[in-house]
Amino acid sequence: MLASIVNPLILGISIGSILLISALGLAVIYGAAGVINMAHGEFIMLGAYSTYTLQSTMGMPFLLCIPCAFFIVGIIGFVIERNLICYLYNRPLDTLLATWGVSLVLMQSSRLIFGSDVKYIAMPEFLSTNLELGILNFSTFRLFLIAVALILLFITWFIFYRTRLGIKIRAVTQNKEMAASFGINAAQVYSITFAFGAGLAGAAGAMFGALSIVLPTMGMHYVVEAFLMVVTGGGSILGTVFASTLAGEIQSIFAFIFNDTMARGLLFILIVVLLRFRPQGLLSTGSGRR
Amino acid sequence: MRINPYNNVKYQWAVYVVFFIFLACIPTIVGDDVFLLNQLSTYGVYGILALSLSLCWGFGGILNLGQGIAFGLGSYGMAMTMQLQSQDILEDRIPPFMLNNAVETLPAIWEPFWNAGAGISLALIVPTLFCLIFGGLMFWGRVSGPFFAIMTLAMLSAFYTIFIDLQYLTNGVNGITPPMALEVGPYLVDPYSSVSFWVVFVALLLCTVVAKLITQSKFGLIVQAQKNDPERTRFLGYNVALYETIIYAFSGFIAAIAGCCFAMLTQYVSPGQFDVGFSISMVIWVAIGGRASLLWGMLGAFMVQGAQSYLGDQFLSTWLLILGFFFILVVRFLPGGLAGLVEVILGYFSSNSSGTKGSNSEPKRVD
Repeated sequence: MLASIVNPLILGISIGSILLISALGLAVIYGAAGVINMAHGEFIMLGAYSTYTLQSTMGMPFLLCIPCAFFIVGIIGFVIERNLICYLYNRPLDTLLATWGVSLVLMQSSRLIFGSDVKYIAMPEFLSTNLELGILNFSTFRLFLIAVALILLFITWFIFYRTRLGIKIRAVTQNKEMAASFGINAAQVYSITFAFGAGLAGAAGAMFGALSIVLPTMGMHYVVEAFLMVVTGGGSILGTVFASTLAGEIQSIFAFIFNDTMARGLLFILIVVLLRFRPQGLLSTGSGRR
Repeated sequence: MRINPYNNVKYQWAVYVVFFIFLACIPTIVGDDVFLLNQLSTYGVYGILALSLSLCWGFGGILNLGQGIAFGLGSYGMAMTMQLQSQDILEDRIPPFMLNNAVETLPAIWEPFWNAGAGISLALIVPTLFCLIFGGLMFWGRVSGPFFAIMTLAMLSAFYTIFIDLQYLTNGVNGITPPMALEVGPYLVDPYSSVSFWVVFVALLLCTVVAKLITQSKFGLIVQAQKNDPERTRFLGYNVALYETIIYAFSGFIAAIAGCCFAMLTQYVSPGQFDVGFSISMVIWVAIGGRASLLWGMLGAFMVQGAQSYLGDQFLSTWLLILGFFFILVVRFLPGGLAGLVEVILGYFSSNSSGTKGSNSEPKRVD
């Protein structure tokens, strides 16, 4: 009896950690640069494919693939930002459209390169077991996901609040012109932030590829949910963490009472109603930018 | 200074007349090739969809990535009507796919569709009502711009999952395949005949005329005002949320008409109508054609879909790649789409011919 109550709660944290991993990069890019990045899902997909490629051609161990995926996708993100996004910063709706075009191109290119058949990422053995603690039972990979979510969160926090770069990023976010007049190169800060956000998506892709399957179209599934988390959270990183955990728990509880699809639907209705009354999101001090 | 002929309302109507006269000639040009005619009618449906989106996005400034919702709901309503038309209300009550899913009695939600009139009305009313409620919730909460776009996208994917999940009502992934064409009174609307072409033609014509009249009305002026500066419009005493909701719901209504025509033409609906990719392509048609112009939105749909079917066979694997690149280029360099290009060219020629080369003051946009 106790297990049937506790297990959904733990599953909820696990779902929340997946939501958080997929939304973190998006929150960084949106929060700092104000860019609605529709290609985020495809960055996740690229992360999964780069992990697959590194693993199948060079036999790189999975744990090492995660940082590699981070850097590969980060570089791709940097190139895209330098060549396209940086011209569109004052046109938010157009960035949305342009990144959508980017997502189409990335999806189709990876379909041409890797084919549209399903690819799998091999996990190390210690991650594919089940852990039993008395009445509780959960897979180690899900625990690993929670740990990775915390690590990525810590890295993000550290960069934003404990480095010079973080100070620059926060300065540009608060007031671009003022920051620029203090000698901060705003364009460069935006590029680095975008690359960092893309890299986070790449690391997420390495995880999700191992969690389920690798497909050229896998990104679409994550991007919508990730966006909902960022919007619900109010655009900040802390808000996204809060929203992801809450949404994971709610979804898990609904899924326990009804079924999985119903749970998603109900959660979504809940978010729509919430936005009616708190359009600035769960955690937001000001009126926000919308 | 002469005004750019692109913005002359009389010229605009003249172009629309020419456009529709050309469309009306299509059955004569095509002749007996009913399959080609059916395909061209489907393009007409895409034209209606593009029209609905350019009204909502280009004219009202509300980017709607979930236009597939109204379209899909409309097409499902129509398909349910057609399905029940092929069955008997007394003896053969339950569609075959439901029997396969072990459904004993017809679900209550299907009951109104026995009557074709009621069914088609529902197919139009339900999506409109949905847009009113969803749009109302969002716009009164002052969710707008990119956030509204994301919410519509999320809504769309929610519909996609739900329609797959409700297997016993919608036949899941397989969709509904009505065995017979639509009957309106004593007439049969055969999808492979010129009759269905004219149905789509009239629908497109009516939608275009009404949409064009809206853009030129006082209501349209306020909608445009809220697009350009919602805050200022609010201070002038207009209820911006109301105008946004109405234009969004009306655009949904037009999309529902397109959905009905689509189900009638193809005799097939599936969750594919709620596919995110399909709603993306609608946005691409309108963006490439020119979001600010109703006519160019439609032309964009014809061009992209036409190119997809005729070039698609040769460049099947690279088509999406080409389309994606083209879309990026349009967004980056040509935000007005091809319509914007035409506007610039016409403006250049008209200023040349009247000898006012020096004046570079841009005429205000009417359309």
